[in-house]
Amino acid sequence: MASLKSKYQLAWWKWLGVIIMLYVIIGGLAIPLNPGILSITPQNSRTGDTVLISVTGYNTNFLSEKKIDAYLKVDQYYGIKSLYSDALSDNSIHFAFAIPQQLPTNQKQVPASLIINSAVDGAFVLPEGLFIENKDIGRISDNELRQLPEKYFTNNAFRFPYRNILHETIRNTFFHVALWFAMFILLIFSVVYSVRFLITKDFDYDHKSSSYTKVAILYGILGIITGMIWAKFTWNTFWTNDVKLNMTAISILIYLAYLLLRTSINDEDKKANVSAVYNIFAFVALIPLVFVIPRMADSLHPGNGGNPALGGEDLDNTLRLFFYPSIIGLTLLGFWMTEILVRFQRLKHKIYLYHETNV
Amino acid sequence: MKQMYKICIAFILIFTLNIQSLQAQTNTMDFLRSTGKIYTVIVVIVVLFIGIVVFLKSIDNKLTKLENLIKNEQ
Amino acid sequence: MVDVNKVRQIILKDWKVESRQSFAIYGILLFAATTVFIVFKSFNSINPREWSILLWIILLFSGLNAVLKSFLQEKKETWSYYYTLFNPIEILISKLFYNFLFLALLFLLITILMNVFMGNPIRFLPMFISGNILGIIGVSIVFTFVSLVSASIDGSHHTMMAVLSMPLILPIILLSLKVTQVSTGLLVDTSIYTDIWLLFGIDILLFGVVLILFPYLWRA
Repeated sequence: MASLKSKYQLAWWKWLGVIIMLYVIIGGLAIPLNPGILSITPQNSRTGDTVLISVTGYNTNFLSEKKIDAYLKVDQYYGIKSLYSDALSDNSIHFAFAIPQQLPTNQKQVPASLIINSAVDGAFVLPEGLFIENKDIGRISDNELRQLPEKYFTNNAFRFPYRNILHETIRNTFFHVALWFAMFILLIFSVVYSVRFLITKDFDYDHKSSSYTKVAILYGILGIITGMIWAKFTWNTFWTNDVKLNMTAISILIYLAYLLLRTSINDEDKKANVSAVYNIFAFVALIPLVFVIPRMADSLHPGNGGNPALGGEDLDNTLRLFFYPSIIGLTLLGFWMTEILVRFQRLKHKIYLYHETNV
Repeated sequence: MKQMYKICIAFILIFTLNIQSLQAQTNTMDFLRSTGKIYTVIVVIVVLFIGIVVFLKSIDNKLTKLENLIKNEQ
Repeated sequence: MVDVNKVRQIILKDWKVESRQSFAIYGILLFAATTVFIVFKSFNSINPREWSILLWIILLFSGLNAVLKSFLQEKKETWSYYYTLFNPIEILISKLFYNFLFLALLFLLITILMNVFMGNPIRFLPMFISGNILGIIGVSIVFTFVSLVSASIDGSHHTMMAVLSMPLILPIILLSLKVTQVSTGLLVDTSIYTDIWLLFGIDILLFGVVLILFPYLWRA
């Protein structure tokens, strides 16, 4: 009994999990975002006009500088520099632009990105913020509109990146995305224990395998709910025909079927055996999904169609500093919950065996 | 049976809340979108927390049942 | 290790049992035919997209019944008798092959019926055949495995079978559907051959896993 007690006392990894999650929650909420542009008015203009654009910034310090330059970037070389700037407050500023008669493209509607180059805040951009109606379609010489600055200011403050649409919800990366990674780690453990059960027929491995799956399902369901909330406030819909959403829905379905399978078999021996076999098969059948489903349609998720979130430049170093610990922390918490479940199932199994031998 | 009763009550509550919130929905949405949608992050964290608590509570209930079983045996 | 003769014997035996109670096999064929007719009457005109989707949906639901039956009809005594005669891999291969043949027959029948009632949208026949045969192989592997699993539960086998197998065959169905749609000229996809290879890979993968896992299920 004494050995049992020492084995189950709050082990170091449980503390570690809790501390890491605290670090993620506090750090992930406390560190501010980089400055960015929330919105601009007007959003349409015509060639030959002089427009006054009022910009609403986010986390910006427009008042701390006398003159801020802004650029309307039409393509790689062409940019229109602002005539003057007029800061009303830290988060609000006016720019005046004189848009020339002709633009270097044959498009009817020319999208232009608004770049604000501030010495204090660094350079930040609103992609395709202003649409310029091209009245005279025709080319002009390359030199006239080369007004883009030679160098942009950089902001080296320790901050999370600012993304359009996402805004502050970029912090959800630590809670929603990390949940999926933790879920898959738990599922891998579950499969490993299923294999070990089939080899050794030791019931302890069955307890472990099924407990890992249960916690993984909890994470999966939480992941879907948090994902739906996030989607509602960024893509404005709870559910899309999105690739990753549907893939996770399928994997949750498969593992709920696994739980159903377990409850529908009464004989303990058979239950452990059949569910271990099904678990391995289900995991292997999930692998092709990873390759197949992305081929079916475009995704709103990272890496598809220029969407903001994970991957490439989007997961920058400041995000990494919290994202990876979050995966580890959630996995450790999952291990903890699994351990409690395993201990419960061991107890139940002992009582079951006691009944078997005494009846 | 008691469980079913509880679930039914929860569902009714959720649906009535939904009907009520239909009118207030635009307001809530605006609130959750304010200040750079930071409240969405808060909601996500709260959901995570509630989910884990509900899970722990279910294990708690199962353990109580087991304890009662052992008590009755003795 | 695997005796082809023994495999053939089991398949022949299955076929004999099946033909003795011929109402079962005709029942499934009739079920498929009726469904096709109902679909034809309710849609009136049908475009290639719906055509390809319905083809697979009808195949799945009529095939589900058929495959489940092939394992449930064996009694416990028969299993233990098999156990002494054959090794598990022989039985697995024969069952897989039998189910594949049955599903392929069903698929052929449904395709012909849908051609008769709703016209023929297929433009590239080799692609249609190769993609769908690979799809049917995958589906028959999953169905065979799941029917084995659901044979061991207490309760409703049919519900369990559907619940367990539908999410598992989803990648196969999605790929086969895509191949079917490309073969009807509905979609144009240059990487369709990658899809066919992917389907082939999935089949091999699933077959390997079932081969490894079957002995464990079998002993139970």
